[in-house]
Amino acid sequence: MEIYLPIAEQSMNVFVLFALGGAAGLLAGMFGVGGGFLATPLLIFVGIPPAVAVASQANQVIANSVSSLQVQWRRGNVDLRMGLVLLLGGMIGSSAGVTLFTWLKAIGQIDFVIAVMYVVLLSSIGLLMLFESISTLYKRRRNPTGPRGKLHTHYLVHRLPWKMRFYKSKLYISAFLPITLGFLIGILSAILGVGGGFVLVPAMIYLLGMPTTVVIGTSNFQILFVAANVTFLQAATNGTVDIVLALLLILGGVVGAPIGSRIAARLPGVVLRALMAVLVLGVATELLFELLRTPPSAYSLGPREVLP
Amino acid sequence: MRRLGLLLLALVLAAPAWAQRVEQPLPAPGIGAAPDSSLPPSVPNTPGMPELIVDLSSPRLSITSAFQGESLLLFGMFDPPGEIVVVVQGPPARETVLRKERFMGLWLNTGRQRFDDVPAYYFIAASAPLQRLLARGAGGEILSLEDRLSTIRPVRPRSPARLAEFRQGLVEVKRREDLYPANFGQVTVQAGRLFRAELPFPSRLPEGVYDVRTYLLRDGKIVTAVSRPLPVGKVGFNAELAGWAVVDGPLYGVGAIILALVLGWLGGAVMRRL
Repeated sequence: MEIYLPIAEQSMNVFVLFALGGAAGLLAGMFGVGGGFLATPLLIFVGIPPAVAVASQANQVIANSVSSLQVQWRRGNVDLRMGLVLLLGGMIGSSAGVTLFTWLKAIGQIDFVIAVMYVVLLSSIGLLMLFESISTLYKRRRNPTGPRGKLHTHYLVHRLPWKMRFYKSKLYISAFLPITLGFLIGILSAILGVGGGFVLVPAMIYLLGMPTTVVIGTSNFQILFVAANVTFLQAATNGTVDIVLALLLILGGVVGAPIGSRIAARLPGVVLRALMAVLVLGVATELLFELLRTPPSAYSLGPREVLP
Repeated sequence: MRRLGLLLLALVLAAPAWAQRVEQPLPAPGIGAAPDSSLPPSVPNTPGMPELIVDLSSPRLSITSAFQGESLLLFGMFDPPGEIVVVVQGPPARETVLRKERFMGLWLNTGRQRFDDVPAYYFIAASAPLQRLLARGAGGEILSLEDRLSTIRPVRPRSPARLAEFRQGLVEVKRREDLYPANFGQVTVQAGRLFRAELPFPSRLPEGVYDVRTYLLRDGKIVTAVSRPLPVGKVGFNAELAGWAVVDGPLYGVGAIILALVLGWLGGAVMRRL
């Protein structure tokens, strides 16, 4: 069954879009990340213009993070103070990101930048996760209980000025750190249409040293507002948010997420992370291949301008 | 939520009004409209009965939620003898042609050329091989795609060879999207005076007022021509949404956010119960 997408200005199979949303939801349920990093490239593969894919995906991220935040908030797993500091950076970053996006679109390089950013990001994250899960599996085989490590290591970043106390995260660190992190994630969010959870979560654990219990809830808090900001700015400046497309993705995600969490409950964490690493690397490889391979046609058209 | 509901209701109610708005600015050339005054008719019209009558199976092309491209039927009658040529042209606009080149091993858009007055769509149908008809002297008025594209103006001047490459690239992309169909259409003539032709429109169809022009040729000369505007536009829900996104982007953005919040919240709550 085909449906015409009014902003993307083309017809597309309803079930394909629904399945894409479902896959993103499945990932969200399984790994606690938004799944946007997979959905956006796939939307582009099936022929949605990158600008529309990114902006509509940001809209879907809102729905995804609000349903996840619901649970986390009730369990008290949100460090509101940390969330707000992250958000301060996130708002600036995402606003700058949309401006950058608009400019890149105008000079005709947005597709390329999206592809390159995805390749760099996904391959580095995928490799990190793969190594981490392999070494964990290996260590566990040798030492089943595992030694109890320090809460977090102290290094240079903990010596920066403008320190703030984050009670819930049991941290006393410079506010620059979360603001910068939020800023970078905001840019990522605006250009790639992702929530950025797959970068934010490891960064919060390894870089900020936050306890894992509050990481998911706090990152969801920041992602929700950043995604809303991106959606608003994309709609206001580029007019590229396709509500019909977003609606189908959201509905797919609503169905996929609980299935994902049920699968996650049955599999050990290391296996999950290894699976996700393989998936992430697969997407990165495909995108890299697209960049390197001689395109079937060298030509494409930029936006049509109807002159008055 | 109630406000959103009201908003949606208002959209639905406003849809018919929008559809009417589209119609008004257009002249309504009914059946057997007078030939376009810009064309020099080489044979004067006989009083009373026009020599060429043309109509379309639909007065407009509506892009609905189920739109996947559409074929319109053009049909009519002419005073024999003669040949019929139909030229359908989409609204002209500025198009940017981008060319990918290999840069440090990666393919990226490095070449770029903008053209003005590029027709969104171009299709020709004829009752006899077009080359033969055009060779006999009607070429001045009826343009093949190549001739039509030689009239588009580059925004930035370049060497003719480079421009020709980009022009070829433009045709390549438009062909891929079926906006410049590669084959000429067939005008079928029945009983010596009735004719019909199928006009194919693909799913990625730019909006605007298309021009459907039918020519009656005799001995390679244009005897008369009938021009019919064909409005192509989104209707109903699609039109409202797209119009909303253009007219009031910020409000549209807020609407999109509310929709996602509500669906995400409800979806999360419902699926957790199951």
